[in-house]
Amino acid sequence: MVTVTLTVNGESRTATVGGETTLLRMLRDNLNLTGSKLGCDVGDCGACTVIVDGKPVNSCLMLAAQVEGREVETIEGLASMDRVHPIQKAFEECASLQCGFCGPGVIMSAKALLDEIPNPTIPQIRDALGGNLCRCTGYVKMIEAILLASRNMRGEAVEVNR
Amino acid sequence: MDKKPKVAEKVSPAESVLKDPGILRESVASPLVTYPIEVVVPKARQQTPAVGQRATRLDGRLHGLGQTSYIDDMTFPGMLYAKIKRAGVASARIKSIDTKEAEAMPGVMAVLTGKDVPNNSFGPSLKDQPVLAYERVFHAGDPVVAVAALTEQAALEACEKIKIEYELFTPVLDPLESLKLETPGVHAPSANIYQKKFIKKGDIEKGFAMSDHIVEGQFRTQMVEHVPLEPHATIAMWDANGRVTIYSTLGRITLGRADIASTLGIPISRIRLVATIVGGNFGGKNEITTEPVLALLSKKTGRPVKSVFTRPDEFMASTTRHPLIMDYKTGVTKDGRIQARKIRLVLDGGAYCSWSETTLSKACILSAGPYNIENIYAEAYVVYTNKTMTGAMRGFGAPQVCFAYESHMDDIAKLLNMDPLEIRLMNVFHEGSISPTGQKLQSVVVKESLLRAAEKFGWNGKGSSAGGGKLLPKEIIDATTVRV
Amino acid sequence: MRAFEVFSAKDSRDAVALLAKHSISSKVKVIAGGTDLLADLKFSAHSPNVVVDISRAEDLKSILVTDDGLRIGALVTHSQIMRSLVIQEMFPALVDAAHTIGAVQTRNLGTLGGNLVTAVPSMDSGPTLMALEAIISIQGPDGRREVPLTDFFLGPRKTVLKADELLAEIVIPKQNLGKPTHFLKFGLRKGQALALVNSAASFWVDWEKHTFVATRIGLGAVAPKVIRATQAETFLEGRKITPEVMAEAGLIAANDAKPITDFRASAGYRKNLVAVLTKRALEGAYALAQAKR
Repeated sequence: MVTVTLTVNGESRTATVGGETTLLRMLRDNLNLTGSKLGCDVGDCGACTVIVDGKPVNSCLMLAAQVEGREVETIEGLASMDRVHPIQKAFEECASLQCGFCGPGVIMSAKALLDEIPNPTIPQIRDALGGNLCRCTGYVKMIEAILLASRNMRGEAVEVNR
Repeated sequence: MDKKPKVAEKVSPAESVLKDPGILRESVASPLVTYPIEVVVPKARQQTPAVGQRATRLDGRLHGLGQTSYIDDMTFPGMLYAKIKRAGVASARIKSIDTKEAEAMPGVMAVLTGKDVPNNSFGPSLKDQPVLAYERVFHAGDPVVAVAALTEQAALEACEKIKIEYELFTPVLDPLESLKLETPGVHAPSANIYQKKFIKKGDIEKGFAMSDHIVEGQFRTQMVEHVPLEPHATIAMWDANGRVTIYSTLGRITLGRADIASTLGIPISRIRLVATIVGGNFGGKNEITTEPVLALLSKKTGRPVKSVFTRPDEFMASTTRHPLIMDYKTGVTKDGRIQARKIRLVLDGGAYCSWSETTLSKACILSAGPYNIENIYAEAYVVYTNKTMTGAMRGFGAPQVCFAYESHMDDIAKLLNMDPLEIRLMNVFHEGSISPTGQKLQSVVVKESLLRAAEKFGWNGKGSSAGGGKLLPKEIIDATTVRV
Repeated sequence: MRAFEVFSAKDSRDAVALLAKHSISSKVKVIAGGTDLLADLKFSAHSPNVVVDISRAEDLKSILVTDDGLRIGALVTHSQIMRSLVIQEMFPALVDAAHTIGAVQTRNLGTLGGNLVTAVPSMDSGPTLMALEAIISIQGPDGRREVPLTDFFLGPRKTVLKADELLAEIVIPKQNLGKPTHFLKFGLRKGQALALVNSAASFWVDWEKHTFVATRIGLGAVAPKVIRATQAETFLEGRKITPEVMAEAGLIAANDAKPITDFRASAGYRKNLVAVLTKRALEGAYALAQAKR
């Protein structure tokens, strides 16, 4: 067993888990953060994507022991009690998600992208979403939403459809 | 006087941004959104012009927040985890199952085999699927033993301690092999061909006699797995009134209740089946999988039991799309008018029937394509093989035959040196056309659609979609008949 | 995944000590980025008892230009390679190769050392390093030893590493710094795809005679390990740089390759790909040489 202390969404959290426990399992089973999903468990689908020390990673491919002392951002940390994150709002407005299962992973990849490149091109968006599989939507509206969110986040005027 | 409400422009937010990024628009500050959202309640008896409006999906908010509760996100106090040990061999007789070592492992609360299931067979049409395979194994994904334990880890390790002895048989993997009646039946004594369908319209011999050219071709499609992002998941628990509550990713809950009732031998009224937001279905979650097993494990242990498919399970043990082998023979006049079409479809029906009857039916009815053909003969068979179950998947047989008849049309066009659009316009359904099964069709706009599409794509009529040039037949059968 | 114990190493020396200690009595595996190890262990029958986590060994994470050449720490991730200004400047082919690996998430975790140690023939980092005559610096209980990359792989998933050894650094020799190199991968998809064929070409240009000098070609996914196309290299030495010569070198490289037929592609198709990709890799390296001139 290993005891892991880390920062999750700005809060210090601790859990004692088996050595083989992945970050994903620790988040879901021990820390009650079920937003990150288990889609394949081998790092192919990206449904488990979280941001560790500023970088989007497959949480199913990290051992919990490896995140000791690190900073992890999950989907649960994006919105606040008053406000939905601009990316989440844009995804809603553009109806980017259908079944929603891939959503948290895609949104975290999008957030990591916009944190680094506030004004991404479409090829850059495609590259950033390359590790997130979606079987429902065809990705087009996700790309639209990310473009919209990037504009919103840079404070540029955008006409919002009512 | 009532003002007509403004209808929103049918342009997505990003489209408008992309079109003229330089133009300054009036700044619209993102309004503060409360959390959770306020629901707007429409006034009673007020007609709202919904058509043409942009609508927001009701589940979009929760999805984006990561707050949608899928089955695997749910836990209940005292919940156990179940793992299924699967056969791993394609065709065998089960000689013995030894679960003693597994049962003795710490943390293991219950172990079940087929003999513990009151009625060990189910299925959407033919009840040929076992809940837990007990005597025979028909494909590698067959569930044989179920283990419920305190942790998933313990259940997994217990599965490894289970010893199953198999008498292996040669599996039947090729549907055309299976079609030959001499092959030992996959589900002997039942025949390999477990369903057939025939459609006869007019007289194909007469049609072929009137044709200048007869073109033959064989088309095959492969097995496809749905790969919903969310794997199958189920949780079962009982109450003291003898009712079982099952949370499941299952799409067809009425059918599911019926199957669970019959396999468990309890009245339907004792079964509460809760299907919530599902992470993708596409037809793959249309029938029960582990529900009866988990109900029995829960009954045995007195605790809620959860089981989730792994991704490999999804490929091995959940339904897939039927592979089809499609033989087409079409007679045309030299100007491209179809006189007769003969079709044989062989569906690879996998280890169990599942939704094969519907698939067979649909494929057969649609196999001639949307074309006016006086003389049609279509025969379709679905056969057992020792491969992954084939069931419902988006289209139910339609995508496969569409690939065949459209490719076939292109081949015919190439052979006759005709524009593939031209030959379709000549033969396609129009208002009042009679379908192969005698239905008089209404609201037919195929021609208009094709012409509109051709205009949009800039179809220039020269060369066909598949590379241009005259098609050389692979085999010349006789003076009028070629195989492409 | 089966249960195992995990021990986190503070640095490379600690890691080696842990490996030495545990490999006597247990089945031990090393985890760096985990993109290959964990994917492999999730559904497999075999499992280790002990996993030594080396992901915190800061002394294995640097990219340095020294008197020996360019030293890349084993724990440098593929993302870090893509962002390194030094590597962007000197070896854009390594950036290209890193970019073809998996997806953003896997590149943020996966390490160069891990890619080499996993030793699958279709690895994407191998061919370029092979073409640059890289040397592997291995750390053991008694210190370092060096093995040329050409001798490092023994076969699919097998290297010369002993149970108590760690791949510590990858060194590109001084004489190859800035050598024009180009890498191409052919996969069934643009992302998250295994290579059907990989080809990397590296050479200096004799601008007076306009000939190939010291050409090295690395091929991946066409043999049990990453190989050099030695016949093609010999053919090119001293030959005039023309498109025809490059095309012919490609055909010769196809003969150096011994690909198999599997469900992704036939051996014949792979050989065809080797010829085309090698020609294009040579063209790409030449374009780089001209740009740098």
